[in-house]
Amino acid sequence: MHVEVKDPDGKVVLSRQYGSEGRFTFTSHTPGEHQICLHSNSTRMALFAGGKLRVHLDIQVGEHTNNYPEIAAKDKLTELQLRARQLLDQVEQIQKEQNYQRYREERFRMTSESTNQRVLWWSIAQTVILILTGLWQMRHLKSFFEAKKLV
Amino acid sequence: MPPRGSRGPLPPLLLVWALAACAARASEITFELPDNAKQCFYEEIAQGTKCTLEFQVITGGHYDVDCRLEDPDGIVLYKEMKKQYDSFTFTASRNGTYKFCFSNEFSTFTHKTVYFDFQVGEDPPLFPSENRVTALTQMESACVSIHEALKSVIDYQTHFRLREAQGRSRAEDLNTRVAYWSIGEAIILLVVSIGQVFLLKSFFSDKRTTTTRVGS
Repeated sequence: MHVEVKDPDGKVVLSRQYGSEGRFTFTSHTPGEHQICLHSNSTRMALFAGGKLRVHLDIQVGEHTNNYPEIAAKDKLTELQLRARQLLDQVEQIQKEQNYQRYREERFRMTSESTNQRVLWWSIAQTVILILTGLWQMRHLKSFFEAKKLV
Repeated sequence: MPPRGSRGPLPPLLLVWALAACAARASEITFELPDNAKQCFYEEIAQGTKCTLEFQVITGGHYDVDCRLEDPDGIVLYKEMKKQYDSFTFTASRNGTYKFCFSNEFSTFTHKTVYFDFQVGEDPPLFPSENRVTALTQMESACVSIHEALKSVIDYQTHFRLREAQGRSRAEDLNTRVAYWSIGEAIILLVVSIGQVFLLKSFFSDKRTTTTRVGS
């Protein structure tokens, strides 16, 4: 299986070929939608499995990646300290999410204001175009009919 | 933020996904569902485990999708058509591989992005190796309740983030639609007004007897 991870700007963060089993980790450097693509180029699979591949996928994000028994053993924490560490990790995740939300809200607001501007300018432009074409039509037809000696 | 998974570009190989087959796990995945496509996920669940499936459509069309959950015998436990968001809890009645599918087959040309959260069993305890002989101290039970409260905060944040993504996707759609419509209408206006003038001119230029009165 080939794994490719792209960040929100489209830049490839990770691109590796694994065998039938693999494990990968990455840390995001920009907030936003990351894409994880897995595909298999194996032609052998296509011949035998009848075109279907069942893939076992396990994705863990943020504080779920922490293995608490391991951390307790490594840092030699008491039970209470470990619980406090878990709570700290959770609160950190909440803070990160709220920062991200501020960034998203800004983008949303920019899009809405851009739409607002476009609607405003378009209304003005449309009115101007309408008036100008109306005037042009009248002038053009008037000179045409005068030439035809109808007016 | 849950990452977004996508199917590979090779049509001959259909990938079906199996989630982490563990006694207690939660999997959150946001994936892209192309038009006229169906994506299935499989999970091995032990008997008696309480599971919850929650899904929400984030972008695409009318923001709805078909969902179907089947047990190992093929009995349909949950089936809903064209739902935007739903949550379903069930207890596994037997061991085996449970399957749930999201279908976008009713849509002709819109890709959908669907988020789902499949929770199997309760969260694993922090100290799996210890046998709890003594009761929790006050500090510890305070920590446990804070932990549960923070979990629900994170859960609310996830749903809020998805709602915001949905709103933002609609706003961006609106923005591009306004842009295209403005340009299109300007062109139509000019073409129609110039065309009217020339058509009117053509009415008058062929007649010999110009007795028709002009104007109002």
